[in-house]
Amino acid sequence: MNIRLMMAVLAAKFASFISRRFGWKGSSLPGVVARKIYPGTLRDLAGQARRGIIMVTGTNGKTTTNNMIANVIEAGGFRVVINQEGANLITGVTAAFIKHADWLGRMRFDYALLEVDEASFPRVVKEVKPQFVVVNNFFRDQLDRYGELDKTVQLVRDALKTLPDVHLVLNTDDPLVAQLQTTTGHPASFFGLAPHQRPDNGARQTREARFCPRCGKELHYDTYQYSQLGSYACEDCGFQRPTPEVEAALVETAGTALRCQVRYPAGQVQLAIHTQGFYNLYNALAAFTVGYLVGIEPRRILKGLLRYKPAIGRMETFRYNGKPAVLNLVKNPTGYNEGIATLLNIPGTKNVFMAVNDNDADGRDISWLWDVDFEYLADNHRDIEVFVCSGLRGEEMALRLKYAGVPLEKITVVRELAAAIKEVLEGPGESTYLYSTYTALWPTQKILSGLAVKEDLHAEGLSSLS
Amino acid sequence: MLKVCHLYPDLLNLYGDRGNVIAFVQRCRWRGIPVEVLEVNVEQPVNFADIDFLFLGGGSDREQNLMADDLLKRKDSLKEAIENGLVALAICGGYQMLGRYYLTHEGQRIPGLGILDLYTRAGHKRLIGNIVIEMTIDGEPVKVVGFENHSGQTFIGNLNPLGRVLAGFGNNGQDSLEGVRYKNVFCSYLHGPLLPKNYRLTDLLISLALQRRGLHAELKPLNNDLEEAAVKAMVDRLL
Ligand SMILES: [Zn+2]
Repeated sequence: MNIRLMMAVLAAKFASFISRRFGWKGSSLPGVVARKIYPGTLRDLAGQARRGIIMVTGTNGKTTTNNMIANVIEAGGFRVVINQEGANLITGVTAAFIKHADWLGRMRFDYALLEVDEASFPRVVKEVKPQFVVVNNFFRDQLDRYGELDKTVQLVRDALKTLPDVHLVLNTDDPLVAQLQTTTGHPASFFGLAPHQRPDNGARQTREARFCPRCGKELHYDTYQYSQLGSYACEDCGFQRPTPEVEAALVETAGTALRCQVRYPAGQVQLAIHTQGFYNLYNALAAFTVGYLVGIEPRRILKGLLRYKPAIGRMETFRYNGKPAVLNLVKNPTGYNEGIATLLNIPGTKNVFMAVNDNDADGRDISWLWDVDFEYLADNHRDIEVFVCSGLRGEEMALRLKYAGVPLEKITVVRELAAAIKEVLEGPGESTYLYSTYTALWPTQKILSGLAVKEDLHAEGLSSLS
Repeated sequence: MLKVCHLYPDLLNLYGDRGNVIAFVQRCRWRGIPVEVLEVNVEQPVNFADIDFLFLGGGSDREQNLMADDLLKRKDSLKEAIENGLVALAICGGYQMLGRYYLTHEGQRIPGLGILDLYTRAGHKRLIGNIVIEMTIDGEPVKVVGFENHSGQTFIGNLNPLGRVLAGFGNNGQDSLEGVRYKNVFCSYLHGPLLPKNYRLTDLLISLALQRRGLHAELKPLNNDLEEAAVKAMVDRLL
C-alpha cells in the first residue's frame, strides 16, 4: 500500500467535499491538492486500469466523442472511469480518477476514457500511457491567441512520438489529423465519410489546411465535407487521404436523429444516433472504431451509440410549449458554421438566440465572429422569425448579423440572459435554436431547464431507427 | 463604381479581418453606391492605380512572411498609388509592413516597404486587450474601440497618429499614440474588427474614396443604433 497515494486521495476527497459545500462548480481543487501531496497520484491511479486508457484530443467534439465512447464501452460490459466535461486539463484528469477511487486509493475499472485538451496533452501522456489515442480534427480556436494552429498540431505530434506503444484512431478526412500516422510512425486505424454525403451544402467558409502538412504545397481537393475535411491529395509529395477502415455512407437526417451505413473490415451495419449536427457523425464513427478495436461486437456498439444522450449544450434538446428548443455551444468559426448548417437543414420556421460572452474562458477577443459565415444564414433568413442577441457582447453579435445582411427588424438585443431566453422561446417560430459561448452556456442551460422540459429522446418513436 | 481591393484574403484571415471589407462594402451598398471587391492573393496581378480602397490585414508569422515576400515585389507601384492619394487601411502586420523595418529580439532588421517613416521593434510582452482611442473626424472627437494583440512596438516619429489612447496600449504602450495617418492611408493595431463598429471612420474612408474619384462625397445618413450600442458597451466598460 502506498501511504502517500492514500494521503493524497484522502486530502483530495476532502477538498472535493469542501468545494461542493461552497458551490465551486467544476473546481480543479481536488486534482491540485492530490498532485501537491503526491505527484505520482495520476500515474498510480491510472495504472490500475485493467484493460487500458483511451484518450480523445483535437479541437471540436472531444466531449461528445468521449461520451459516445463511454456508451460503447459500457455496452460491451466494461467498467469505465471518465473525466467530466471541461475537466480536460491535467488537474481535471487527476480529479476524475480520485472521484472513482476509494479512501485507500484503490479502484476497479477496465478502461479510463479521457478527453484531454491539446495543450495539456504532452503533460498528461507523461504520466498516463494511453493504449488508444483518438484525434478527430484540428481547427483554429479563438483561444489559440496567435492563430497558429501549426503549433498545436506539432505539440500533439511531438507528444505522441514520446509514447512507445500506442494505437491511433484518426479522422482520415482531416489532413492535419491523418498525417499523424506517418509523422509519428505509430499504427493507426482511420475513419471517415465517403465523398458527397452531406445532406446540405454546408457553409462557404475559410479552409484551414489548404497546404500539405507534410511538404507545405497547396493541397488538391476532390470534395469537401466541411472546413478542411474532405478528399484531398498533395500532387507534390504524394500525401493523400488514407483509405479508411471504417467508412460511413448513405447519410440521412431523420428529424433530430442521424443515420448512416457503416462499412468496416468485417461487414456493414446501419448506425443511428439521437443527435443533430453532421459533424456528430465523425464523433460516432470515432467511437465505433474504438469499440471495434477493443473487440466489442458491432451489434453492442450500435446499441451503445443509440443510447448516447447529448451532453450540456451539444445539440441538447428541450421542449417549450410543445416546440423543440435546441441548445448548442459555440467556440470557434468551424463549430459555429456547422451549428448554422444544422439549423438550416431542419425544416420549418425558427427563432434564434445567440449569446456571446468575452470572459477568459470564452476568449476575450471576439473578432472570430467575423470569420463565421453568418452571410449564409442571412441568405436563408426567410425561415427565421427572430434573432435575439444576448450576453456581455450581445450588441456586437447583433452588429455582425446586421452586416451579414439580416434585416434590422428581425434583430433584438437583450443583454440579460433570462429575459432574452424568455423572449426567444416566445417567438413565433416552430422551433428555437440557442447558440452560446462557453461561459454563457451554463447560465443559459440553467434558465432553459427552468422554463422548458428536457426532452427524453428515447421516449419518442425513434427506436425504429435501430 | 468603387473598387475595393482585399489583399491576401487567403493568407491574412485572422481576427475577422474580412469584417473590415464587409463593413466598407455594406455601407456603400446601403447607400446605393455600386462597389466591387477584388480579392488579390499571392502572385495575382493588381493595378493599385485602379483601386479606390485597399485593405491589408495581419496574419500569423508564417503567413506574414509569405505576404511580405509578395508585397516587396509590388513596392514601387503601391508607393506611387499611396503618394497619389490611394485610400487604404492597414491593420497589425499590414501596418508594420508599410514601415521601414522590423527589429527582432536578436537585433536583425527585417526590411519593410519603407513607404511610411516608422519602425517596429519586437517587444517582450504581448500587448493584448480591449482598447479605446479618441480620434478627430470632421473636427469632432470620436471614440473608436477595438481589440489589440501585438508584440511589436511601433514608433511613428513625426507622422500623425490615428488617435490618442484612452484605455489600452496603442502603438507601443509608451507614448499613448495609436496608429498612423499618412495622406489617405490609415494604419492601426485595432482589429476586432475596426470598421463595423466604428462607422464614422468607415464613412470617412468612403467619402475620401469618392472625393478622389471626383464624385459627390456627401453621404446619405444611415441608422447607426447598433454600431453606437456596440461602441458604448466597450466605452462604458473601459472608461
Ligand atoms: Zn505534400
